[in-house]
Amino acid sequence: MSIDTSTDSESGLVADEELIASGRRQRLLRGAVGSAIFLVVWQVAAMPVPTYLLPTPLEVAQAFVVELTAPAVFTVPLLDIEIGLTRMLVNLSDSLYHYIPGLFVGGAAGIAFGIALGWSELLDDAITPVQRVLRPIPPLAWIAFAIVWLGVNHRGAAFIVGIGAFWINFYNAYAGVKAVPQSTKEVAASLGVDDDLTMIRKVVVPKASPEIMTGIRTSIGQSWMIVVAAELFGAPGVGFQIINAAQNLALDVSVAYMFVISIVFLISDGIFQRVESRVLVWRE
Amino acid sequence: MSQQPTDGKIVVDGIDKRFRSESGPVDALRDVNFAVEEGEFVCIIGASGAGKTTLFRIIAGLESATEGTVWLDGEPIDGPGTDRGMVFQEYGLFPWRTVLKNVTFGLEERGLDKQARLQRAREMIDLVGLDGFEDSYPKELSGGMKQRVGIARALAVDPEILLMDEPFGSVDAQTKQRLHEELLDIWSATNKTVLFVTHDVDEAVTLADRVVVLTGSPGSVHEVVDIDLARPRSRTDDAFADYEQQLRDAIE
Repeated sequence: MSIDTSTDSESGLVADEELIASGRRQRLLRGAVGSAIFLVVWQVAAMPVPTYLLPTPLEVAQAFVVELTAPAVFTVPLLDIEIGLTRMLVNLSDSLYHYIPGLFVGGAAGIAFGIALGWSELLDDAITPVQRVLRPIPPLAWIAFAIVWLGVNHRGAAFIVGIGAFWINFYNAYAGVKAVPQSTKEVAASLGVDDDLTMIRKVVVPKASPEIMTGIRTSIGQSWMIVVAAELFGAPGVGFQIINAAQNLALDVSVAYMFVISIVFLISDGIFQRVESRVLVWRE
Repeated sequence: MSQQPTDGKIVVDGIDKRFRSESGPVDALRDVNFAVEEGEFVCIIGASGAGKTTLFRIIAGLESATEGTVWLDGEPIDGPGTDRGMVFQEYGLFPWRTVLKNVTFGLEERGLDKQARLQRAREMIDLVGLDGFEDSYPKELSGGMKQRVGIARALAVDPEILLMDEPFGSVDAQTKQRLHEELLDIWSATNKTVLFVTHDVDEAVTLADRVVVLTGSPGSVHEVVDIDLARPRSRTDDAFADYEQQLRDAIE
């Protein structure tokens, strides 16, 4: 009897694994077919029209390879060191030079403000009216200040990216902290936590960490959108190449750089997703 | 400075509680008085709305009384503290911490060194029968196991009393019965004073030395019943049934 059940459950397990594997194969196959159709439709649609209206996938691929391999020199901002890279990597490095500082500084400030306002009713009451008015303003609307204060350069673009990252992270951290149940804090108080800093550090932030992580992940993606938009005004980088190449009617190069954004986004999102699932292994 | 009016580990002295609400003040408790002796197991029982949880929160220091004082070892209670280990119905575990780290939480606040913390936490985990689950997260545990963690965590800081608010309200009947036995074992092993809030008459007769019956709205002490039965107690006992009936009648 017991032998029977064990064989049953074992074969059941094998069947499950097979089912999952075949399900995955099926999804991959469907995805491959869908992508192939997309490329064919694109190719067919683009063939009769000139490249400056719609490049074919092949032309884009060629442009991508050319940009990826053509040597170019990257001058490290602030340090004035020259590094030999390729055109695409130079543009990507330029973009990263405002993406990373903007994301980190804006994101960190957003998380800090979000926790502070979520925790303190005094700060919340005092700052919320201003916050409500400023929040709907799109990051790009701040371009005027960015140009006047900082110029059309890395710092100006980083500023715009920072504003975008600030709001996303602010709101998620704020909501996360607000959602920490009173009972969780009461348990901690009953176990001897009697000051705000310890409560925030050991209870509120860990409890709100899923929301905070969601904010970070969203801003990692959104900041790329803002990078492109900020560079349309002239700061160097991938976004600038998209518009610059288009103005030179090299739409194949434009599209190649559009894919660069997509690839970089997928990589950074994928990495963060792994970090997130590791940090939040406890999540229900 | 006033003094504790009568002897006792916990003395609940003339507690009134009035809440403000949209439709005017609401009286939750009126002139609640009773005392708990050192080492005693006391249940507070009452119908819903009789203010059991409010009274628990006042004794816990999570809520202040409108009138009156709760004394613990001759000191008035004016906030939450580690002299009262609390166990809540919804467990209140920290989901981001493992079982072991949940139990060490209160010890970290004490400034104990890591070695001592871990040793103490492991003892408590053994005491509630959860050895082997030190590295599990709360999401991986059943309701009964979660509440064992809650008890271990409360006991880890070696409180004067254990305050429990319907701790087994969310577990199935069978688990509840086992937890009752284990709680009584822990109680006799640690000699803690236990104050246990419940609405379950059967649970009160199973566990308590004495049962404080809260009735009415606002709630006040209707009666204090001594449960004069040897442990382990059997539900099929006539005397057990008599006590149950007595408490049921008292609640109504």
